[in-house]
Amino acid sequence: MNLLPRVGVGLAAPLLAIVVAGLVTSLVLIGVGDSVAEFWGVMFTVPSARLTVGIVNGASILYLSGLAAAVAFRMNLFNIGVEGQYRVATFAAAYFAGQALLPGYLNTVVTICVAMVVGAAWAGIAAILRVTRGVSEVISTIMLNAIAGGLVAYLLRELGDQQGQIRRTTTIPESSWVGGIPLIPGESSRVYGLAVLAVVAGIAFAVILNRTRFGFDLRATGRSETAAVASGVNVKRMVVSAMLLSGAVAGLIGMLDLFGNSHAYGSTIQVGVGFTGIAVALLGRNNPVGIALGALVFAFLSAQSNALGIEAGISPEIVAVTQGVIVLSVVIAYEVVRRYQVRIEQRDVARALERDRAREAGALS
Amino acid sequence: MSDTATAAVRLQGIVKRFPGVVANHDVEVTVRPGTVHALVGENGAGKSTLMKILYGVQKPDEGSIEIDGQTVVLATPADAIARGIGMVFQHFQLADNLSVLENVVLGAEKRHGIGDAARREIHRISAEYGFDLDPDELVETLGVGARQRVEILKVLYRGARIIILDEPTAVLVPQEVEALFANLRELKREGHTLIFISHKLDEVLAIADEITVLRRGATVATVRPADVTSHDLAELMVGSELPSPSTEESTVTDRVVLEVRDLRVEDKVGRALLSDVTLRIRAGEVVGIAGVEGNGQTELVEAVVGIRRPSTGTVQMLDADVTAWGTRRRRAAGVGYIPEDRQRHGLLLDAPLWENRVLGHQTRAPSMHGYWIDRHGAVADSKRIVAEYDVRTPGVNTTARALSGGNQQKFIVGREMSGDPVLLVASHPTRGVDVGAQAAIWDQIREARRRGLAVLLVSADLDELIGLSDSIRVILRGRLVGTFDPHTVTPQELGSAKTGAGDEAVVDEATVRR
Amino acid sequence: MLQRVVRQRTRVASGIAVAALILAGCAGNDEGSSSTDDICESADGDGPKIGLAFDVGGIGDQSFNDSAYAGLEQVVTDLDGSCTDVEAADGEDDAAREERLRQLADADHTIIIAVGFIYGAAVYNVAPDYPDINFGIIDGAPPEGVDLLTNVANIGFAANQGSFLVGAAAALTTQSDNVGFVGGLNIPLIQDFEMGFEAGVKEINPDIEIQSEYLSQDDAAEGFESPTNGETAATGMFDNGADVVFHAAGKSGLGVFDAAVAAGEGMWAIGVDSDQYLTASAEQKPHILTSMLKRVDTGVIEYVTGVADAVEAGGEAPNGFVTYDLSSDGVGYATSGDFLSQEIIDQLEDLKQQIIDGEIKVPTAF
Repeated sequence: MNLLPRVGVGLAAPLLAIVVAGLVTSLVLIGVGDSVAEFWGVMFTVPSARLTVGIVNGASILYLSGLAAAVAFRMNLFNIGVEGQYRVATFAAAYFAGQALLPGYLNTVVTICVAMVVGAAWAGIAAILRVTRGVSEVISTIMLNAIAGGLVAYLLRELGDQQGQIRRTTTIPESSWVGGIPLIPGESSRVYGLAVLAVVAGIAFAVILNRTRFGFDLRATGRSETAAVASGVNVKRMVVSAMLLSGAVAGLIGMLDLFGNSHAYGSTIQVGVGFTGIAVALLGRNNPVGIALGALVFAFLSAQSNALGIEAGISPEIVAVTQGVIVLSVVIAYEVVRRYQVRIEQRDVARALERDRAREAGALS
Repeated sequence: MSDTATAAVRLQGIVKRFPGVVANHDVEVTVRPGTVHALVGENGAGKSTLMKILYGVQKPDEGSIEIDGQTVVLATPADAIARGIGMVFQHFQLADNLSVLENVVLGAEKRHGIGDAARREIHRISAEYGFDLDPDELVETLGVGARQRVEILKVLYRGARIIILDEPTAVLVPQEVEALFANLRELKREGHTLIFISHKLDEVLAIADEITVLRRGATVATVRPADVTSHDLAELMVGSELPSPSTEESTVTDRVVLEVRDLRVEDKVGRALLSDVTLRIRAGEVVGIAGVEGNGQTELVEAVVGIRRPSTGTVQMLDADVTAWGTRRRRAAGVGYIPEDRQRHGLLLDAPLWENRVLGHQTRAPSMHGYWIDRHGAVADSKRIVAEYDVRTPGVNTTARALSGGNQQKFIVGREMSGDPVLLVASHPTRGVDVGAQAAIWDQIREARRRGLAVLLVSADLDELIGLSDSIRVILRGRLVGTFDPHTVTPQELGSAKTGAGDEAVVDEATVRR
Repeated sequence: MLQRVVRQRTRVASGIAVAALILAGCAGNDEGSSSTDDICESADGDGPKIGLAFDVGGIGDQSFNDSAYAGLEQVVTDLDGSCTDVEAADGEDDAAREERLRQLADADHTIIIAVGFIYGAAVYNVAPDYPDINFGIIDGAPPEGVDLLTNVANIGFAANQGSFLVGAAAALTTQSDNVGFVGGLNIPLIQDFEMGFEAGVKEINPDIEIQSEYLSQDDAAEGFESPTNGETAATGMFDNGADVVFHAAGKSGLGVFDAAVAAGEGMWAIGVDSDQYLTASAEQKPHILTSMLKRVDTGVIEYVTGVADAVEAGGEAPNGFVTYDLSSDGVGYATSGDFLSQEIIDQLEDLKQQIIDGEIKVPTAF
């Protein structure tokens, strides 16, 4: 009965946030003297087929990153270390796959497992520190990000090859590459074959979280650690499990590009995707569908921003402002909507009570 | 109320509507200056709303408020404070990691600054009313009673002459209640006006000069304590006949369900929180634990449920030694657990009721099907609980937070009684629950006991302990120090046993130790 | 009530945060490409239509990107052409760079110049699809296993030769016989600077101590974008006795200048890529001995002119590896500030001639 308006207000929050972000961005543009009309004209251009593929690819990568952050967020764990886990895992995977110890797609499959294990292990360090020594995972994962950067750079120096200006791991044998999926007929650029991983991970996330005991324990711990303990959840074990899972998903982030495009880990690797994932998870309310929408919005904005400099002469950096404001306002909007929902619900309860009382009074007389 | 003195507070014709519900109507309250005026009523009778109106948190839709004979409009708490009204909330609003001084001056920095002047003022108030508070002590080191005094000091510091106390005794043990009442009498003597909200009728009768009874949002009577008994008051509150816990014939069998032997629990630095605890509960038996809060009840309950590891001793359930078992395994083996703090330990407040049905039952049907959550089963069984335990809610998709405390508790009790538990560990099962719900919960516990349930009952309510238990053990400083037969024991006897034969020093030590 | 207060504070705090963001956005934008005097906003000639894709940092790095822009400005005016310049985002992947190039190509640019080796893979992916467009990559090289293309030129500079000369200048200036080198990334491109610098110093006096440090092994942002990193490294060198420090670290080099200022009078920094004396702050100027000029502007001008000539004459546009060295003034040293005495300049010119004549072979990282 009251489900529909509730879904409505649920959607209202992110939409409101995007509108606010649009206004703020426009104000910045006006303040600097750039053309607001041109900006939105470019941003709202229907993307070309090629760009659409680019958006899907970008969103797939961001989606995995957002999922990785969300797994931990759902338990009130702040895994700021997705970035480090992604880089360590991607390097390890690229190095392993480049050794070509296994033939063809077997190499691909095992490499993906290697990435997940390495990502999980890197996140596991923070988990162990937290459960044994009480070190906040926020601090340890930030430090681990720095260590990951240094470690990968060092290993790249020791184990990588110099190719022109770029140092990279040995290129993966072609038999292990994963071809693209043609998304739009007639368009030559393809969606990463391993974008399938994002879909699979999203479904697995939804199922595990909402349908299994582990997922229930995880959500319960996130909502109230004390209640979870009383219900029999071993919180320490859950902290470790959730961090490992988060790290394993973070390990997947780099696989799309690794097998679909760059075929090696080099200094041109995409950085910062782990941090953007945190924003995407926030935007998507840690919900598998929400994160997908959030990833698409971010990927869309980033992709469209390229044309800004070319067509409107506006620095694409402005889009980072838009993205930042979206995240900021979405947090505020969700809180506003949450309070509103609590009010609606309390009113419903009050009504039900009132009805009961009326009925009782009627029965008495 | 024939006196001609100007009323300190006069509320006339107050009506407050929330969407779909009228929280207050036809409210007439007159509070004479320099008196303790009690406001009683069941949970949900509209006491809190009325006080929020007087404190400027909410605005009435109709009616007038007079303070010292002047009609006023209170739009915000700041207005109320400016008029000399202060409120002491039931849930303390103190920052644990700040000192008493910092908590008091927070938000009132303009009065006496934040330095020595403020410290002197706090000393002065504390001495004047016998609060015994050190401005530089950290709040986290204070006991519950002292924290409450900090709250009262806060409102006095802000110049309040009319002080609203919202269920101030709900969190206190009897000795602390006495101390509080002494403070309140002192305040009254100094000319302050106190409005005291409660549903504990014996306390109301002990402290109040006048009592106004609220029922379903309306004031139904104003009486003097001398003219009524607590039974009269209760009937005014509920508008009908009253239930009470009463003993029945014994259903105790000879099958031992829980056997705790030589249990010792230590805190982080190795001090004993529980020592030499040996306890046996048989099927169909209710064992009550009486004691001043903080004497080891929480630790005992947690050790039985498996949340806390004992350093020595064993816990045996039926034929199994469960000492090494975790909470989950124990619960799966048939332990029901009604925690002391339902909101923190018993519920996921932001989750719908049906998900709360799963909580604590993550390994068992009907809410689970193997490793998978059985949503239909959980929803169906939640509906059963809502119906059987009379949980007032629009449905099982409502979040637990939206329910009133009593209904939350009824839901928890219903859940913990599900799945044929063999042992129920119940901490204060009816604390903060209104009279109707209390009777229902008592009935359920008695019913389960008849079917052979073993119950470990921890309660601060002596009537409840005496009414439900087959045997009562007294806990003091982590030890079980006495056993009483509920048929013969009086509340007075229990009261003195709890405190170590009335030894004040012992009580203080026990309180401080928390 | 306390809660209420806290809530209000939260609201205020978020307001401030938003405001801060806006301000940050403004600040960031000020140094962006949208400054109104951008040549690409006014030029609309019928000559070549040039697309320029910047490396991270963009206009305002007072070094590499600025130098490329200066060349663009010059050549667009000379040839009466038009242009578009686009910035890169931090940490983007190859797909994003590729997309940028494709959009420039789709917008009918006839010459597209990618500033920075990081565009290598992207250009070689895009160029085959646009055979009629000429692509130039500053410092570029084809990815491993990819053949050279006839419409792609890898524009290189003999940075080792220029660095040799500023190395000699450093050696002739130092009082403490102790000099330093700060590199952005530890890659051959930058190692080439180091090797030339070292050879130049040793040419003058083999006993001079040379301190050398790279800001990052693989993170371009840490290496080329962080003045803080540059200042930390250079301060360490000055503390260790160096009195001249040469940097090849893009924007991070601005921190090297600050370190020289902090180290006090008589402490020198040597700039890189463009004549950094001209863009330095007033307090930095007295410390900028010279700059190793890597004439990215010359590279841009020469390349664009070469392509335009070829189009006109129907010949083949420059492609493959195109290197500009001392002989073509693709590299050099700056004398702004007049800190180099005529005596030193004479020696440098002598060394320069010896290099052009092949009498001195400057070691290289390639």
